[in-house]
Amino acid sequence: MSVISNLSDEEIAEVVRTKDKEAYAEIIKRYQTKLMRYASYIMGDDHMGADVVQEGFIKAYVNLNGFNSKKKFSSWIYRIVHNQAMNVVKKYNKETPLLDNIDYKSDENIEKEFEQKETIDKVRSCLNQIPIIYSEPLNLFYVEEKSYEEISDILQIPIGTVATRISRAKIIMKKICLTN
Amino acid sequence: MSHELENIKDSVMSKIHEDKIKMKPKLYFILGSILTFLGLVGSIVMSTFLFSLIRFSVRAHGPMGEYKLNELISNFPWWTSLFAILFLALGIWLIHKYEFSYKRNYLHIIIVFILAIIIAGWIIDTVGVNDKLSRRGPIQGMMRGYMKNGGVQINSLPRLP
Repeated sequence: MSVISNLSDEEIAEVVRTKDKEAYAEIIKRYQTKLMRYASYIMGDDHMGADVVQEGFIKAYVNLNGFNSKKKFSSWIYRIVHNQAMNVVKKYNKETPLLDNIDYKSDENIEKEFEQKETIDKVRSCLNQIPIIYSEPLNLFYVEEKSYEEISDILQIPIGTVATRISRAKIIMKKICLTN
Repeated sequence: MSHELENIKDSVMSKIHEDKIKMKPKLYFILGSILTFLGLVGSIVMSTFLFSLIRFSVRAHGPMGEYKLNELISNFPWWTSLFAILFLALGIWLIHKYEFSYKRNYLHIIIVFILAIIIAGWIIDTVGVNDKLSRRGPIQGMMRGYMKNGGVQINSLPRLP
């Protein structure tokens, strides 16, 4: 496993489909926390987020031979989880509150933690009011630290549209936060 | 959250070990790509051909070259239009499967695709392909039947040299 951990995601994907299924555990290990945070944000619920991520990992494994190893594995698996989350959202046809129940670690003192929590609550409150088509690229860019190109691959929209949506999301968020 | 994460890993890996989930073979994806490509080519060819037929039947309207509105409506090949639109829609749906469709503005791609098909159909009819097909070639019978059913008069077609 130590050798496996030195490989890139794309190389591990190749190992899983040609030699060793067990290597898929490394893929899960690398992505579960990130995907859990992303799915929980879309679903607005940790448990539903966990279901989405589990189903996402299963779909990724089943379709692993369809993955083009010349492309970024990260964008591919985020895309699968995005689709899975959207399917569930459509199925339950419910509003999806954002960034609820997400753990934020802090080494600061209690006062600072309280201030931080208050800020986070304000940001959450603003984000909750932004339509998901704007808030999702914003989340991928700032929270998941994805590039515009990766967001374009995940959401399957042109890079120009990614830039426009992030810019609009910031404007909407500023307006909402100032109103509040 | 960490407990849930551990559960995800264990659950997925146990399903893999127990063979409850299996990878789809590479052939499945290769066949999928080939069928998508063939479907796209087929839809382009069919919709172009059908659009050229629409122009052909509107062009070949009568010995005197006159056209009344009711004649146009009654003779217009509606089924051809319907199938042309269906093949066009199939083509648009298949284009969506390709990566370039979201790298660029999808609306622009659709507009260019539709215009290209209509223009190609118009060119094909203008250069006389339909006239040739109605007189010779493997689909001569079909073209004759089309003209008969669509109310297109054969004697209105220009003679080939």
